[in-house]
Amino acid sequence: MHDARPAVRLRGVTKRFGSHTAVDGLDLEIPRGSLYGLLGPNGSGKTTTIRMIMGILHPDEGTVDLLGSDDPDDTRRRRVGYLPEERGVYRKMKVLDFLVFMGEIRGVPRGEGRRRAGDWLDRLGLPEWADRKTEDLSKGMQQKVQFIATVLHEPDFLILDEPFSGLDPINQDVLEEIVRDFHERGTTILFSTHLMDQAERLCQRVCLISRARKVLDGGLRGLKVAERRGVLAVAFDGPEAWLDGPGVNSREAVGDAIHLLLADDADPQAILRRGIDAGAVIRRFELVEPRLHEIFVRHAGADAAVDAGIPRDRVPVAGGVS
Amino acid sequence: MSGVVWAVIRREYLQRVRSRWFVIATVAGPLLMLGLILVPALIASRGQEADRQLAVVDRTGVLYERVAEGLERAGYTVERADDGTDVEATLAARIESDEIGGFLVLDQATIDRGHARLTATSRPSIVRQVAFQQILVQAALEARLGGSDPGVRALLDGGDLEVSVVSDGGVGFDDAAFLASYIGAFLLYMTILLYAVSVMRSVLEEKSNRVVEVVISSMRPFQLMLGKILGVGAVGLTQLLIWALSGALIVGAGIPALLAANPQFAALSEFRQFLPGIGYAGLFAVFFVGGYFMYSGLYAAVGAMCNTDEEAQQAQFPVIMLLMVPIVFVTQVINEPNAGLSVGLSLVPFFSPILMFARAAGGAAPLWQVGLSVLGMAVTVVVIAWVAGRIYKVGILMAGKRPTLPELWRWVREA
Repeated sequence: MHDARPAVRLRGVTKRFGSHTAVDGLDLEIPRGSLYGLLGPNGSGKTTTIRMIMGILHPDEGTVDLLGSDDPDDTRRRRVGYLPEERGVYRKMKVLDFLVFMGEIRGVPRGEGRRRAGDWLDRLGLPEWADRKTEDLSKGMQQKVQFIATVLHEPDFLILDEPFSGLDPINQDVLEEIVRDFHERGTTILFSTHLMDQAERLCQRVCLISRARKVLDGGLRGLKVAERRGVLAVAFDGPEAWLDGPGVNSREAVGDAIHLLLADDADPQAILRRGIDAGAVIRRFELVEPRLHEIFVRHAGADAAVDAGIPRDRVPVAGGVS
Repeated sequence: MSGVVWAVIRREYLQRVRSRWFVIATVAGPLLMLGLILVPALIASRGQEADRQLAVVDRTGVLYERVAEGLERAGYTVERADDGTDVEATLAARIESDEIGGFLVLDQATIDRGHARLTATSRPSIVRQVAFQQILVQAALEARLGGSDPGVRALLDGGDLEVSVVSDGGVGFDDAAFLASYIGAFLLYMTILLYAVSVMRSVLEEKSNRVVEVVISSMRPFQLMLGKILGVGAVGLTQLLIWALSGALIVGAGIPALLAANPQFAALSEFRQFLPGIGYAGLFAVFFVGGYFMYSGLYAAVGAMCNTDEEAQQAQFPVIMLLMVPIVFVTQVINEPNAGLSVGLSLVPFFSPILMFARAAGGAAPLWQVGLSVLGMAVTVVVIAWVAGRIYKVGILMAGKRPTLPELWRWVREA
């Protein structure tokens, strides 16, 4: 039953639109059963990558291997559930009819589709909406209906492009819970987001991309351990000008501490000495496990961090990455 | 055909057929037709009985038979009034009491110079007056010529020019054929445009609803386009079939029933001749299907390259022009169905649905030309499906500005 081959394997995949390179030489492997995050700022190539996995776009170079299948079209249709970032509903259709149709085009017989759709509407608290038109739904409810449409054919591989965008926190929790639930039942899940905190909460493995290129990928735990040298948490009283100096790329307030993102050749001892010399009273000085977006900023650079929507004033560059 | 295409056909078909618009249009069509037939008939037959009853006083002794025959052919009921001193007063009194619509007095002046007097409740229309005069003049001339000679009547009827044609060109249709091909051509134009535009709207709707990407992840774009075109086309055929059947029912069964119950509606029986035959309906269906497939493919491509209705309004212009050309020429083609220009234009696939139909419906197009145009349309449909399918495939996921022609060509090449 268990298949050791990855759910998706991309090798050297490149996609260009005219003179613009949307994805540049991307290698990616998504293990079966994993909950995998594809992270990067808007415009970094996430959606293009996903569209190539879904066969909607075709790579100019490289290969895409999906579930080791010889008939990728049929595999996509029957075994993959895809929730695109650009998602919508047929506005004049009734909710139940819409769901049955979405199931039907993925090979679920109409009767079976009707039954499953009913169950899902019950589960997500929308049973009384079955016979209403989809245009009457609120945005959050529409998103739930779209999610149901994505999973109605019980796929073994879920691809969710920015699944939580535009959801209020309560509905976000509901959907996160369902995503975890699918993960526990063994479904492979690839989801993309530009929100690092969310990925950190959900994912086991991540791939960070920026400006069409992969920055790094791997298991979240491993990455964090490997990056442990990179972030210094300090707390102190007194002046703070000493924070900006050699070895410190950027800083950010996290709770009552300040996180310093260190350059590769940084010497924490020298930074500590600089603080003491400046007259600061140090209360905490500790190498800490970095947060995902700190890893991202460290590797992709501050400009990419700005792309990612991290405000510039939180990443003052001081003699670090040029 | 694969299941996904069926699912798309089914969705497009049911959603449209269940819509209020479809029900209204489908019911309104036959009702409108019924109205067009009944209203003039009712107007024509109103008050008919007394008005159409005429008395004729013949003081010449030779005219009555001839005049009465003419009047009866024109739809009047005629009675002979014996001449007497107060006959005119008596007849006037009968008009007053609504027994008759009027009376006609014929005397020597009628034979001399066609003069007669008509006394009636109201002045007859110019057309009727002319008809009366013709009847009188004819009767007078026949009387003078001693006219049992049938040739006299033929001469008076204006003679008869027999036309025989050696070359192919230049025969017009008779009235019924003219009407049949003219009305049919316009109906084809309207229905093809209506349903092809409907396909474009459907494509646009999927784009602007942004539902298209998830649908396309479950089937090839061409399957979606095909399902859409077939589904909307099936709606069109359903509607036309309902209209045709209800039209046949009205003319074929409804009117005879009405006539049986109300003989005064006799004028309605003339509508029988407008009931198109099975051949005509089949011709219509063939050219509707051919035209619809060509134009709906083009419209699907237009929809795919646009994002809003306004954009689509502009982008569909070249397609509309293509459909307007045959409409511009249709009158000329019907007038000279076998002229070189008519034959040539009607064989251009984009124009065939309207022009070849117009020629064939009037019986002017030889079978091989009809066959050739159908073949031409079929080939064009395949080419359009190929080109439009490629434009559609790229276009449906494209946002932003409309492609230029060179960009469009790149889409077709690279898709």
